[in-house]
Amino acid sequence: MRKLIPVTIAIVAGLSAGALAAANQQIHQKGRVFSSENVTIKKGEAITFVNDDSVPHNIVSTSKGNEFNLGSQAPGMSTDVSFKEPGDVQVLCAIHPRMKMTVKVTD
Amino acid sequence: MREFISARSMLLASAVAASSLGVFGFATITLGAAIVGETRRVDLGQAAPAGLEALKAQYRRPATIPFPKENPYTPEKAALGKKLYFDTRLSVTSAQSCASCHSPGFGWGDGLAVGVGHGMNKLGRHSPTVVNAAWGAIFMWDGRLANLEEQALGPIQAAGEMNMPLDQLMQRIATIPEYKPLFDAAFPGEAMSPKTLAKAIATYERTIVSERAPFDAWIEGNESAISAEAKRGFAVFNGKAQCAACHEGWNFTNDGFQDIGLPSKDIGRGEYLPDVIKMKHAFKTPGLREIARRSPYMHDGSLATLEQVVDHYDHGGVDRPSRSDLMKPLGLTAQEKADLVTFMKTLSSSLSPTAVPVLPR
Repeated sequence: MRKLIPVTIAIVAGLSAGALAAANQQIHQKGRVFSSENVTIKKGEAITFVNDDSVPHNIVSTSKGNEFNLGSQAPGMSTDVSFKEPGDVQVLCAIHPRMKMTVKVTD
Repeated sequence: MREFISARSMLLASAVAASSLGVFGFATITLGAAIVGETRRVDLGQAAPAGLEALKAQYRRPATIPFPKENPYTPEKAALGKKLYFDTRLSVTSAQSCASCHSPGFGWGDGLAVGVGHGMNKLGRHSPTVVNAAWGAIFMWDGRLANLEEQALGPIQAAGEMNMPLDQLMQRIATIPEYKPLFDAAFPGEAMSPKTLAKAIATYERTIVSERAPFDAWIEGNESAISAEAKRGFAVFNGKAQCAACHEGWNFTNDGFQDIGLPSKDIGRGEYLPDVIKMKHAFKTPGLREIARRSPYMHDGSLATLEQVVDHYDHGGVDRPSRSDLMKPLGLTAQEKADLVTFMKTLSSSLSPTAVPVLPR
């Protein structure tokens, strides 16, 4: 029990390099472009969206069962998103209409 | 004794905690939604600032016009499209054509704050230019139409604009005998239809391209093509004023949607993405080619001069949650503001006059 609490706090504190997240697939946005247009992950796994661009981005999906909205993501921030429903998730940047990608979620 | 806290309950606790940590986005787990997890700061390192030559290279004009494979260019399609574009009989009153609001005389707009439609009624927004539409990613101020083929039929049918239902449109076209051979030449083997009509108009529109401007000559290496003030303005545009964050590339737009804090009630793209706060009052970034010819400015034509536009950005606009994070007071000096305007004026080419076509009878 005493060993478990510090590990839980480390996950929650969240403003660290996040060693547990190192295995996540990463999507970059430099140059107003998603670094990959097609990604496959398993249900429950997470993707890390990294804003390594010089402008804010606003990543959203309206795909049923996997909706999300990251709001305005500043340069230098990254956020993890995991998907519950299998299927194709259409991901786009609400600001930049050329930024589109598909996440294929498998069982 | 407490050791029997299971791995499963620890994971649940951390998942709940991580999602409620989501201060930078959606914090709640809702049924049937993706889970927004941890947010972190990443170290992007110090990017070396681009040298002037590398920066100028980003502004080079493209060599060719892109036509979609679903609607490739032919001279017959463009010629038919030009006649349709200038033909007022596409409106129910026979008084308005595409060219009424998107006129070559006014930088392919209409020089008005907002357009004028059926019955001489004022419309809600400024008529966008058609210049360089071939490179557009999405159309209308609120981005509700995907391509030029869709856009061509919009104002034709809109009750407030040309007010012409599509079946009535094709009936009228059928009563003009000289149109049939033009459609046959442009679309061999196809019947005349709203689809081919729209494809013809779109093909013509893609040929409307801003010509070489003094700015382009400078980009290509002619140092005397623009003034020292304009060169300083280019530096401010890309640097302190951050204009290039949205007005990027040779056409000076990435078609992005932002709320730039204009005091207008129009919510723009917010109508289509109501749950995305940054889309409220957001409009598509226009390009800046021929911009000196395209006054007045903004989605509502509310700013009459380029000086007023620069002042608006310098002040930062209305501070509200939907406003782009990029909008803030800039602290520009009077010289910097004047230089920005001088620079923008170098984006006007000497547009060749457009001959109005002889229309079919």
